[in-house]
Amino acid sequence: MGRYILKRLLWMIPIILGVTILVFAMMTVCPGDPAEIILGSTATQADLAAKRTQLGLDQPFLVRLGKYMSDVFLRFDLGKSWITGVSISASIPERMSRTMILAIVTLVIAFGLGIPLGITAATHQNKWQDSVSMVLALIGVAIPNFWLALLLIILFSVKLGWLPAMGIEAGLASYILPALSNSAGALANAARQTRSSMLDVIRADYITTARAKGVPEREVITKHALKNAMIPIITQMGTTFGRLLGGAMVIETIFSLPGMGLYVINAVNNRDYPVVQGGAIVLAIAFSLAMLLIDLLYAAVDPRIKAQYASAKKGNAKKVKANA
Amino acid sequence: MLKPVKKKSEFARVMKQLAKNKLAILGLIILLAEIILCAGAPLFTKYGVAEMDYMSFMDPTPSAEHIFGCDSMGFDIYTRVLYGGRYSITIGIAAIIISACIGIVIGSVAGYFGGQVDNVIMRLLDVIQAIPGMLLMIVISAMLGPGFVNTILALSVSSIPGMARMLRANMMKERGNEYIEASQSINCSKPRIIFIHLLPNCISPIIVQATMGVAQTITLAASLSFIGLGVQPPTPEWGAMLSASRAYIRQYPHMVIFPGLAIAVTVLALNLLGDGLRDALDPKLKN
Repeated sequence: MGRYILKRLLWMIPIILGVTILVFAMMTVCPGDPAEIILGSTATQADLAAKRTQLGLDQPFLVRLGKYMSDVFLRFDLGKSWITGVSISASIPERMSRTMILAIVTLVIAFGLGIPLGITAATHQNKWQDSVSMVLALIGVAIPNFWLALLLIILFSVKLGWLPAMGIEAGLASYILPALSNSAGALANAARQTRSSMLDVIRADYITTARAKGVPEREVITKHALKNAMIPIITQMGTTFGRLLGGAMVIETIFSLPGMGLYVINAVNNRDYPVVQGGAIVLAIAFSLAMLLIDLLYAAVDPRIKAQYASAKKGNAKKVKANA
Repeated sequence: MLKPVKKKSEFARVMKQLAKNKLAILGLIILLAEIILCAGAPLFTKYGVAEMDYMSFMDPTPSAEHIFGCDSMGFDIYTRVLYGGRYSITIGIAAIIISACIGIVIGSVAGYFGGQVDNVIMRLLDVIQAIPGMLLMIVISAMLGPGFVNTILALSVSSIPGMARMLRANMMKERGNEYIEASQSINCSKPRIIFIHLLPNCISPIIVQATMGVAQTITLAASLSFIGLGVQPPTPEWGAMLSASRAYIRQYPHMVIFPGLAIAVTVLALNLLGDGLRDALDPKLKN
């Protein structure tokens, strides 16, 4: 198991290096001169040239890329924002934690409601409960999150005045509307996934056995069926979480929630290259770690998968012996 | 002599299966109606797309004259939703066609040849997929600049890896079959084996994915336009319309309700159709 984790972690290195090179190259070919954006259109040619030298933009692409990579991966320094001059490594934890809170609140809402909805649909297959849940799920998938955000703002901020429409001054309450608007799609997908994987297991022999030996229906559903239906649901939880980490840009923009998304999107608009690159690297690492975590969760939920890891290790050990 | 008959019946079977699914048919009808309304927009509205109604500045809310009301510029929202559909639906379909074509080629090559070729392609896709999709689209749109065609390109690049992976997995499953060995033994060229023999047997999940993908892409295009990176106002793309009306949300909520509703209905219809297609193509449900 430990060996598997190590292998996966090592595997992340080339991927993150690739992401760095890709994003660096894409930002380099972006139209718009960063020096001009920083200094404004009134700056003289001499000022612009001086700024470009200061930013290192007059050097060849490979030299800049090499310097950036050595700064990031050897000195663990993401550099400073060109616009504000603030260290990026110092800004990211604060921003990332807000995006994390948003993602976690969203996940709790989506799966806290989606799983029970899916179970209800599966246990009442082809009855009205099933139809209602699946119609709700279809609508949830269809509604664009940024539009839902606007509708929720109209209802809860403008008409009712219950929740703040922007900023994070109100503490956790400020995260409710963003999380709600973000969770509709995830909730719908969670419900659909739960329904279909519950339907897959619910006719299995061990469910009949459990019922036959007199286990209460409630326990059959939660302990025997749900536990076995959990794998695809966990996969979905993981991919949703990964998407929420990197995809909260639009929601963060609408609610002026200063998380990673808003940080990166402002940087893209201002051609603040180091911030975009740093943000992309951190998001890619977070995403890869989230994916690793899901794979480990599989093993925790399903002993069969855990056994596979163990047997793979044995297989490797044999190979090593054979080679020696 | 049996062969062509059998081929025809497969398509007919899928269509028959699809026709049984009421929800899928509903989706198809909504979609066709929308395409007719948008393509023939001038026939269904008496206003021009850039025709200002100065009287509407007093009261832009929906009325008998303007059933969806007017926006902040005095344009009729119903008219602009129809014209906007041309942009939004075209973006969705075009982006998915581009990404499906590229994804199919990449996925077939990786899946058929395997080995080192597969390894290199998959690692490249790993890198692209490690960048969050929205961020990738934003950076590509920034790189290409805003606009209609560039939005299509940005959206298609980010959905290539998913398509390629799906096709690769199917190819690997399918290439071990005897009919492939047979076509290799009669010296078929590799492109012929891949595209004539293998591809038709691996394509059905891609069709489902593409149908759903169009829906997703329409939403993503709208969100890109909404944050100012995609299609720019005053072009009546649905997301751009939402973005332009956002400032008036407090006084005139109708300005943001109708364009969003148009997106939601289109996505719903496409998802219904996609679900139906998946059921119709799913070999597990074949009787």
